[in-house]
Amino acid sequence: MSLLAAVLAFALPVVFVVVPLALFLVYSFFSVDQGTIVYAPTLGNYVRFVTDSIFVPVFWNTIVLCVSVAIICILIAYPAAYLLTTLKGRWRYALLMLLLVPLLMSYVIKIYAIRSILGLNGFLNKALVALGILQQPSTLFVFNMNAILLTLSVLLIPFAILPIFLSLERIPQTLLRASDDLGASGLQTFLRVTLPLSLPGVVSAASFVFVLAIGDFLTPQMVGGVSGFTFGRILYSQFGTAYNWPFGAALSVALAVVVICAILIGERFGRNRGTSV
Amino acid sequence: MIALPRPSTLFLAAVTALVAVLLYSPLFVPIVSSFFTISHGDVDWSSPTLSSYQALAGNNDILAALRTTLIVGLCTVVLSVVSGTLLALYYHGGRSGRSILQFIIFLPFLMPPIISGLALLIFFREIGLERSLLTVVIGHTVFVLAIVYRTVLMRLQSMSRTLVEASYDLGATAWQTFWRVILPNLSSAMVGGAILAFALSFDETMITILVTGTQSTLPVRLWAMMRLGFSPDINALVALILMFTVLLCVLAARFLVPQQMAMERS
Repeated sequence: MSLLAAVLAFALPVVFVVVPLALFLVYSFFSVDQGTIVYAPTLGNYVRFVTDSIFVPVFWNTIVLCVSVAIICILIAYPAAYLLTTLKGRWRYALLMLLLVPLLMSYVIKIYAIRSILGLNGFLNKALVALGILQQPSTLFVFNMNAILLTLSVLLIPFAILPIFLSLERIPQTLLRASDDLGASGLQTFLRVTLPLSLPGVVSAASFVFVLAIGDFLTPQMVGGVSGFTFGRILYSQFGTAYNWPFGAALSVALAVVVICAILIGERFGRNRGTSV
Repeated sequence: MIALPRPSTLFLAAVTALVAVLLYSPLFVPIVSSFFTISHGDVDWSSPTLSSYQALAGNNDILAALRTTLIVGLCTVVLSVVSGTLLALYYHGGRSGRSILQFIIFLPFLMPPIISGLALLIFFREIGLERSLLTVVIGHTVFVLAIVYRTVLMRLQSMSRTLVEASYDLGATAWQTFWRVILPNLSSAMVGGAILAFALSFDETMITILVTGTQSTLPVRLWAMMRLGFSPDINALVALILMFTVLLCVLAARFLVPQQMAMERS
């Protein structure tokens, strides 16, 4: 009876999750010859990834880009999350909801709207010209790496707010009062008590944002133009125009390794330890 | 939190306002465009019109995509709620291999959708399953399963064991206990999970692009149209979808939040 239950429970997840992912891994050791897949094991794809002068630099640039996105998101999200914790009861959760609701709105539409805001005729350029910061509309913000950086940051801010808010909320009030009683200023209390205790939330937030940013293909494809070439786009092209599925699978494995590392770092350092006083 | 001095409060408020502007301005662009005509980035505020909504009613292409999205969403909800609930019960029962199973369930949610999607694409090709709405539903179910599973499991774990024990003490069989005690207690978590699953499925783009056949769902249709730019009726649709999504959020909050608040209080 319990064996039957186990078989039933495992059947679907194994068939539709484990088998496809395992197959994907196996594929990365195949090769392509004139449009057909050669089912013979080879390390060729990985050798090509490491030795070719294109892939590793793009890979590295994409990682740097996504780390930057994570940093921007945290710098913006932290003060907002902090403000939330200073609010009382109902207001706190109402504002939190307000900042999380945009997550559920259509991703594709948001990218499109942000692109039109960043564009040459967009609102950003109009505002900068009106403020006298720019002499004339600039193409700095669209169809390049900047555009990807800005768009991903805007899209992913809510993912940074939530974990930071949760870790700030868990800091016992007694610690803050103790710090105040011992004569610390508001700034000292923040730097010596609040900030260190909220770091796990910051690490989780960074890990979330990084993983979502590096796995995204839609944003770079839509706002990146020709110069904003990210790893996700190269990977995707292997399944489209380049038609080299095994090589694409190998690139995916490289991506998966980075993602798993980021998740593990988030798990290892992102746990709220020692705050449950 | 201890009240900070004034300048810092102002700073916090300013940054939070900036966050709100950043998050909401992309949502206002299509809404404004659905009521006003925009040319070269300038909004013509003088003449609000509902013409884009009328155009939408006649756009069969988009309406078909919307219908497809709803069908896929409903199938995904049914499959993910049934299997997610069963898997949560399996885990909660302390059965063998449960942590590995949980890890497998979370995998597609943790992996970038491009990887889950490509893996499924190769899998469907190797087993000779033609790409169709069926493959889309499978892709979506695999993706949203973790959310339903987790929502139901959290409710199961917060449920008092005494309820089940009382049911057995009163002479109920295992089946009766399941149908009369456990399931009613899980129902609101299941509804909440279903709403989240539907919302995720409704917006899922990457996996769908990879595993869909000839029929496209709404996000995929929009994605394809984006290269050319949107016609006004798309903005009308987007405005409607935004309202619908807000409604879904409110519903999901109603089903999920009260219990959690009640739990915190007790």
